[in-house]
Amino acid sequence: MTQQLPHPYSQYKMTIGIECHVQLATRTKLFSAADNDAREATPNSKIVPIDFGLPGMLPVLNRRAVELAVKAAKALNADVALESRFDRKHYFYPDLPKGYQISQMYQPIILAGYLDAPLESGETVRVRIHHAHLEEDAGKLTHKDGYSLVDLNRAGTPLIEIVSEPDIHSASAAKAYASELHKLMIYAGVSRGDLYHGNMRFDVNISVAKHEAKALGTRAEVKNLNSFKSVEKAAEYEFKRQVDLLESGGRVVQETRGWDDTKLITISQRSKEDAQDYRYMPDADIPPIRLTSEQVNEIQANVPMLPFEYRNSWKELELDISVIEALLSNQSYAKLVDEIKQTSTNAHARRVAHWFASAIRPEDDVTVQQLSALKPAGFIELADMVEADELSSTAAKEVFSELLVSDHTAREIAEQRNLIQNSDEDEIATIVDAVLSDPASARSIEDIKAGKDKAIGYLVGQIMKLSAGKANPALAQKLLRERLR
Amino acid sequence: MKTITEYLQSGLSATEMVKQALARAKQVADYNSFLSLTEERALKRAAQIDSGEISGKLAGVPFVVKDNMLAFGAPTTAASVMLKDFHAPLQATAVEKLEAEGAICIGKSNLDAFAHGGSTENSAYGVTKNAHDTKRVAGGSSGGSAVITALDVVPFALGTDTGGSIRQPASFNGVVGIKPTYGTVSRYGVVAMASSTDTIGCFTHTAADADVVMGIMAGRDANDMTTLPNFWNEKSNSVKKSLQIGLIKETMGDGIDTEVQAAVYEYAERLKGAGHTVREVSMPTISYSLGMYYVIVPAEISSNLARYDGVRYGYRSQNATSLEELYGQSRDQGFEMENKRRIMIGSFVLSSGFFDAYYQQAQKARALLCSEFDELFASYDLLLSPVSPTPAFAIGQKTNDPIQMYKADIMTVPASLAGLPAVSVPAGVSSTGLPVGAQLIGPQKSDRLLLRLAAQLEKGA
Amino acid sequence: MTKITREDVLHLAKLSSLELTDDEVTAMQDELTEITDYIAMLGGLTTEGVEPKYQVSGLENIYREDEPQTSSVSREDLLALSYATSDDQVKVPKVL
Repeated sequence: MTQQLPHPYSQYKMTIGIECHVQLATRTKLFSAADNDAREATPNSKIVPIDFGLPGMLPVLNRRAVELAVKAAKALNADVALESRFDRKHYFYPDLPKGYQISQMYQPIILAGYLDAPLESGETVRVRIHHAHLEEDAGKLTHKDGYSLVDLNRAGTPLIEIVSEPDIHSASAAKAYASELHKLMIYAGVSRGDLYHGNMRFDVNISVAKHEAKALGTRAEVKNLNSFKSVEKAAEYEFKRQVDLLESGGRVVQETRGWDDTKLITISQRSKEDAQDYRYMPDADIPPIRLTSEQVNEIQANVPMLPFEYRNSWKELELDISVIEALLSNQSYAKLVDEIKQTSTNAHARRVAHWFASAIRPEDDVTVQQLSALKPAGFIELADMVEADELSSTAAKEVFSELLVSDHTAREIAEQRNLIQNSDEDEIATIVDAVLSDPASARSIEDIKAGKDKAIGYLVGQIMKLSAGKANPALAQKLLRERLR
Repeated sequence: MKTITEYLQSGLSATEMVKQALARAKQVADYNSFLSLTEERALKRAAQIDSGEISGKLAGVPFVVKDNMLAFGAPTTAASVMLKDFHAPLQATAVEKLEAEGAICIGKSNLDAFAHGGSTENSAYGVTKNAHDTKRVAGGSSGGSAVITALDVVPFALGTDTGGSIRQPASFNGVVGIKPTYGTVSRYGVVAMASSTDTIGCFTHTAADADVVMGIMAGRDANDMTTLPNFWNEKSNSVKKSLQIGLIKETMGDGIDTEVQAAVYEYAERLKGAGHTVREVSMPTISYSLGMYYVIVPAEISSNLARYDGVRYGYRSQNATSLEELYGQSRDQGFEMENKRRIMIGSFVLSSGFFDAYYQQAQKARALLCSEFDELFASYDLLLSPVSPTPAFAIGQKTNDPIQMYKADIMTVPASLAGLPAVSVPAGVSSTGLPVGAQLIGPQKSDRLLLRLAAQLEKGA
Repeated sequence: MTKITREDVLHLAKLSSLELTDDEVTAMQDELTEITDYIAMLGGLTTEGVEPKYQVSGLENIYREDEPQTSSVSREDLLALSYATSDDQVKVPKVL
């Protein structure tokens, strides 16, 4: 008998660094006053001569983009560079109208930082941010039979590129990082975070090496992933591909790979051997950005509460991690729960948190926001009613669902739907006694006395029937038990 | 009729002024100083002025625009094949501002393609001839505008100056040429050469006219982040009775034509005669300025010319079957040799492994040069030097020797690198009858002082 | 003296997207050698501790407010400048 060897995968560790392009929530482009929202636009309808790279056109920097970068720095626990500059990155491609992309190579606006990404296990993984910089997006190519078409609507859209350190060592951590980054950018108001429209795109650098190895392996870069799931799946796939390659005597080549979202595989695109020389050069068309600490503080003071701040705030609510993360997937819900915690009791906040957590459907994108409509008062009132035994938990959920979309108060809704339960002990005692004295109950009473506790259900049912469904079932049961003791 | 004032006081209608200028332009066609005439549009605008529809400080005064500035009425070619048929859908801010004051553009002038050169021999549309000797170069790159002004076609013509492209042809053709402080006039709508030194200026017969034209073009433009708030309209004092003027020693030594030196010394004497003090000063770093210039400027050129790729506009090679061929062929065929040479140098100094040694070193050297200017301006109001080592040279003399051609820029590049205003003024005439200019350089925003001083000396001349 | 090789020229030409003719490559090789030799003079300057001067205007913090503006130049004006268009887009040979 041969002894089973450990699977080779277990001998390897993966190391991942992620570059994420975040589209900023501005109205106009980074360097032109063209409308930045090209979601439903026809080709080239959102361009001005700057975006077309016309001779003699010059960039004019969008103040809001700089402010959003400063906000992003806060979300990333990073310092803002008080002096930053723009540089040109040169390469020829039809979607790049000037023959260079304006970016920040030498003096980026966001310096080193970190984020703590929560894992499903309840642990967190700290991923350091190397830096983040402002840059403009390129246009879009459509490939036809024998030719390609250039649409420059997206050219010049403001981005920040967030570059992580290679601190990620599992596919699930990669996903957690991407997801936390997404939340941070939305909460800070930096991005709309619309993944469907490519508001955040991830380039994942992956290498593998044996646990005992001192150096990292050769890395491959999987470009343009636009969902957390694809980040996770691509990392899983690459890990196996690279280990299989090494185990079969091959070597990993440094290259760019694409992701096939249907086949769930990565595909080689371009080898780094013919790597570009981008000839970065400071852009003399754009005077430097110089900020004071006061200006930075002032801008960052407007950053709303961030996911990690909510998590801290909610520690005393002793919520399950799945409830916390479900709540955090919708900023308006998180905000509301926290407001209730601040203005009411922890018990109320906890109750409301559970309502919200169960109300969020998994397919809801975090971008589905109803920021303005929801007010804490209605939910506090609802919690009060539950606490006062005026509503059953089932009835409370019904009122809650209605409260999300209704202008009425919790009480109005409960009354309209006839959901308020009777918790008057005397009134219910009368009904209890009536049921107990009903001959039809005799069998159940005997069963209960014989230890068949389930039989109480029938009696409670009868009480509910007699009370037209309004009796507080818990109270009814309590009174029943007292009498049958 | 030479000066703007003479035009304005001539009693001629705008239509008459424009017709006269157009006729003169056609009369001097042999100089090849025009790439196009904007006749139809000019006459239309003249009619609008005559009917009172448009008015302004320069109502009806004809002018010419260097053909690397976007303007209506004719293609903007930058004297290249690349932009042969490029009809601009908008106009440069400088042109717009002049038109808003009623000036009328009658045509576009020849230049070295994309303004790369110092002789207007690099034009895809033939050499421009010197106004004083048709066997000699006009200078460049704004050669066409200089010659057009010198030949009295119009009272002023626009040029761009990145390393001497206004001052040197002004000197070669005996007119006033100003390169203003970097950022004085918007670069919006001007075909970019080197973003950190490109300036827009003009050619005139008098310093007073230059003051008028620059005053109209100057000012902050929301479309160009590098424009300075308008300092032209700041109330400034008249020329001090006695200015301290430094004559830069390093520009008056070996390799500088003795007749050029003589003309500059003579100008220095006239300055003294007007009550100013002229003393020799030394700028050791100036000998490195050409080295800096021919690193920084090609780097910026290689970048700024990357947009000419045959994709969205401009020349596209007909034979290209792949994207790579489209790029390579369109750019090879659309650019002149000098364009390609500078793009290649630029790519070289920016490429990995060379960036620090060349590009960064040049930008640091530039900082040293700027400090040296600052130190001098602590003691001197302005500086004096020749414009060019020689008067206009013969056509073809330097075309096969790019380095020799580059070296002719030695006097003009320092002010460009430091963003300083500099004026080329007629200072003398060589034994063969060629004009020789002198250059006044001042600290940033001293443009008007330079022009006032030049005007003071014009009166004395 | 840095000798610029033919390979160097071809590499730079590729970076620059210039499909140079053979004659141009030959000419460029000599000229670039001469020019790089000339600009190497900068090595003679001591620049330790000197901050590079990329811009000379002294300006900083120049911004535009984040308000969309329509241009006087339309999509049609821009596309009219193109050699080939289709479906309101610029047409290029197939990008592989």
